[in-house]
Amino acid sequence: MKTKILSFVAILAMSFATSAQIDRSKMPKAGPAPKVKLGESERFTLKNGLTVIMVENHKLPRASVNLTIDNPPSFEGNKAGVSSMMGSLLGRGTVNISKDEFNERVDYLGAYLSFSSGGAYGASLKKYFPEILELMSDGVKNSQFTQEEFDKEVKITLDAIKSNEKSVTSTARRVENALTYGKNHPYGEFTTKETVKNITLEDVKNRYNSYYKPNNAYLIIIGDINPKKIKKMVKTLFSDWKPGDIPSYKIPEVKNVETTEIDFINMSNAVQSEIAVINTIDLTLGDKDYYAALLANQILGGGGTARLFQNLREDKAYTYGSYSKVSQSRYIGSFKATASVRNMVTDSSVVEIQKEINKIRYQKVSEQDLKDAKELYIGNFVMDVQKPATAARYALNRELYNLSDDYYETYLEKINSVTVDDVQNAAIKYFRGDKTRIVITGKGIDVLKNLEKTDYVIKYFDKEGNPTVKPPMTLPIPDGMTAANVVDKYFDAIGDKDKIMAIKTVMTVSNATIQGTPLVMTMKAAAPNKTSQVISVMGNTMSKSVFDGDKGYQEARGQKMDMQPAQIEEAKLSIVPFADLAYKKGKLDRIEPIDGVNYFVITFNETEIFYDMKSGLKLKEIKTVKTPDGKEVKVPTTFSDYKEVNGIMFPHAMGTKMGPMDLNFVIKEIKINEGVSDADFE
Amino acid sequence: MKKSILSLAAAMLFVFSANSQKVEFEEYDLNNGMHVILHQDNAAPVVTTAVMYHVGAKDEQPDRTGMAHFFEHLLFEGTKNIKKGEWFKLVSSNGGKNNANTTDDRTYYYEIFPSNKLELGLWLESERLLHPIIKQEGVDTQNEVVKEEKRLRVDNSPYGRFLEYVKQNMFKKHPYKGTTIGKMAHLDDATLDEFLAFNKKFYVPNNATLVVAGDIDIASTKKLIESYFGPIPRGKDIERSFPKEDPITEPITAKGYDSNIQIPAIMAAYRTPSMKTRDSRVLDMVSSYFSSGKSSILYKKLVDTKKMALQVGAINLSQEDYGTYILFGLPQGETKLADIITEIDEEVLKMQTDLISEKAYQKLQNQFENNYVDSNSSVEGIANSLARYNVLYGDTNLINTEIDIYRSITREEIREVAKKYLNPNQRLILEYLPESAKK
Repeated sequence: MKTKILSFVAILAMSFATSAQIDRSKMPKAGPAPKVKLGESERFTLKNGLTVIMVENHKLPRASVNLTIDNPPSFEGNKAGVSSMMGSLLGRGTVNISKDEFNERVDYLGAYLSFSSGGAYGASLKKYFPEILELMSDGVKNSQFTQEEFDKEVKITLDAIKSNEKSVTSTARRVENALTYGKNHPYGEFTTKETVKNITLEDVKNRYNSYYKPNNAYLIIIGDINPKKIKKMVKTLFSDWKPGDIPSYKIPEVKNVETTEIDFINMSNAVQSEIAVINTIDLTLGDKDYYAALLANQILGGGGTARLFQNLREDKAYTYGSYSKVSQSRYIGSFKATASVRNMVTDSSVVEIQKEINKIRYQKVSEQDLKDAKELYIGNFVMDVQKPATAARYALNRELYNLSDDYYETYLEKINSVTVDDVQNAAIKYFRGDKTRIVITGKGIDVLKNLEKTDYVIKYFDKEGNPTVKPPMTLPIPDGMTAANVVDKYFDAIGDKDKIMAIKTVMTVSNATIQGTPLVMTMKAAAPNKTSQVISVMGNTMSKSVFDGDKGYQEARGQKMDMQPAQIEEAKLSIVPFADLAYKKGKLDRIEPIDGVNYFVITFNETEIFYDMKSGLKLKEIKTVKTPDGKEVKVPTTFSDYKEVNGIMFPHAMGTKMGPMDLNFVIKEIKINEGVSDADFE
Repeated sequence: MKKSILSLAAAMLFVFSANSQKVEFEEYDLNNGMHVILHQDNAAPVVTTAVMYHVGAKDEQPDRTGMAHFFEHLLFEGTKNIKKGEWFKLVSSNGGKNNANTTDDRTYYYEIFPSNKLELGLWLESERLLHPIIKQEGVDTQNEVVKEEKRLRVDNSPYGRFLEYVKQNMFKKHPYKGTTIGKMAHLDDATLDEFLAFNKKFYVPNNATLVVAGDIDIASTKKLIESYFGPIPRGKDIERSFPKEDPITEPITAKGYDSNIQIPAIMAAYRTPSMKTRDSRVLDMVSSYFSSGKSSILYKKLVDTKKMALQVGAINLSQEDYGTYILFGLPQGETKLADIITEIDEEVLKMQTDLISEKAYQKLQNQFENNYVDSNSSVEGIANSLARYNVLYGDTNLINTEIDIYRSITREEIREVAKKYLNPNQRLILEYLPESAKK
């Protein structure tokens, strides 16, 4: 009986489990929206101006402290780097404790503590937190700046600059800022070897004494704390941090360019181009259209679902990711759309980024797009709002931006009230597709040719953001490399030298179509310089040209024309079946990258011959011919699809141009040392 | 009497504090072999749904490297019920976040949603497992995207190739000799059939662990999981047999080049056992001793005091089958690479000869205690740890007990492990040089 009951229960349970029917063809509906509660914080201000924000959270036995000194930007000029150096030297010993003891203590506690020119950060287990807070306050108030540590830091800074010299991304970021804001602006200046050498220990001390002050500072403490105790501790530790006047400085005004331009920085080691479309904006958290701007950016380039990513990555596969970013600021903000793309698609990527920027400016986004973007903001808000760090950040923002007390309580309403018109207005105002810099850091030789085809003016800058000239578009020829070497390399690539030299005649039959009409071309060649070429349509000879070593003629539509003396001279100079033997006497003119392939280019009389540096194969010839009216025309012949015939590689596809038409021959048959007789050249 | 009350209070306090850190979870198998782990934390209205598949770069055919990572891209392309290009949109337009990552050992996919979207997360992951659409079109797009990822992370990135050089020299037989991103030519050669076969072999419920963590109700979540994942057919059992490496007995020297750097680097790499072993954990402590924090041995000596190095560090690259312990340094000024190794060797020898001080030992314990608390600070992080301990270590509860292993490691063990693994004849010395140094 007992087993029966049990199995009955099991069946019940089973049927219950299976009864949860789902329809997986549709996206599941969301449950009721979770209730959100804004985290709470406490604040107080010390007499010296230091504002303290505390958020209590007992989930884990740990706590963190973050000091932010909110000074306005300042300019360092020919001593750029002085403030970051000051930041690095903080905490390397104080009047109370040596540097080694200080570091040892922090590490011993398994804690983290660091200082920077803009503040400090510390974190530890709850049980060690009072000591970390004390060590931080000691570093903040009593740091010693010694010559020894200063000298060491100078060395490290110089080496760090050196270590980044070849980094494409760090060069890109530096020059992007220098061009956007100007090098006379705090946001545009950067540290160089020269500015580091200008900095003295005295400068560092002065920097500390005039800027590292509590007046504009915020101390944020989060975690498993007792606010009452912490308040007491902070008062004891930080009240004697002396305030002072921060030197005043007027930030220069920044203007965007009048018409969109490309600013190019050449980096010969780049395998990707760093593209940044940048303009400055005047947008501050709390502005009326702040969320409209954020939502517009979300739709344009805010992540994996945004237009830039969908277009440049998911559709075109130009990049691992393309994004845009709106950065608000009380001083000067920026809009930036970026992608790191392979060299070959640099120009196309610029076009697509600009297309997306213009699209969001000139076409209203759909209601659905806006709704989706809002959902993302709402979702992130819901998920983040209860985190203690969020409560702290909101509290700090209220202070920094003078936000109303209910600013974040009404966050969801603010997001929801944004309309598609608001989004377009924000896009037009902040995404300056028409007055923007397109800063590209990449390998000029690979990308400039195509960039020049875009409509934008290209300006050139060096790695420090100074105007410069266009980089050379060819690569240096390695020492000792000659035309003869290149041709030898070509012969090595196509086969065994003895076999090649044993070839006396070659016959090639190939097909093409011209305006729908099938053509057959039969070419015969016999050493040393006899050639014949017959083009026929449906079995009828359309044209024929022949050279027998001394004389020759061309025949078309029944009209025969003998070769002129000059033509005979030229024909005599060439060597068949492998014209390349003659090219050995040509000149190795340059190494030219085209569409990502580097070519040795030999010039021989009126012809340029292109050999792939890597494979050694000949891929192109360009012959310059004079038309009857005296104009010079370049006639290209391309060779591809190399396949073996009797152990030798021959191209099985050839392309040329007849006037405006492309003519592509597919080789059907190649015969070696057979099918050719002297009669063919009569 | 008073005494006993006090000790009772102390005991209670202890229980409380132990509990406050313990990660509670529940785990079970579905009939199709899928392992499920649930962790409830209602502190914030957030839920993480995550699946870890026990497939990584080491499971690839030797001439198809990069396939596992490629799949991580491919499996966002759409499913029978989710159109191409819709995946990311479904996530973000529901206020969520998602991503995935691949290592040599496993592939991990996850979504984070407001907790009322739990079912959506389960639907997405079950769709990915049940019937992803794998077509040539998606393969072609992601092929280019992956190449861009490689250019970004490896080819254009200073010091981006060091792991490639270390691995190819450290491993001769085991697939750890390759990189996770793989060879691009292999991906070009891969056919659609090969992709489909890879999916059929590895993306099966009996090779997967599902974690649902956050603001959930356990009972109803179980029902939903059964509905979405229960009907997915079990796959064939996966047999793994990886070639064993011969021990390294002679010093290996090698050079690697990078066009993105000016300052060279020197690396000493030692082969070590699986991350599952106690020795590997001892090596974690060895790493910390050498390079964690400004008072650590190597930093203090080479960077701070002797000013020979710009940077020094130790990495214990822990993997399922083997580990690689790497000590590295970037020279400051005119310092020679070999001199950095000499200095490092001196410290290794000290560790092999003498016990580290009581104080240094206590410092290590404090650091690991701190790491332990930090590692469980976010629900996303907990989800990842639960999956990792289950899939790679075979013991989910290590999330709570691994700290006990670290606590039990002695100074003597540290000395013994240094002696056992960190010998000059068992290592690779890699000179990582600027391209311009190539002759």
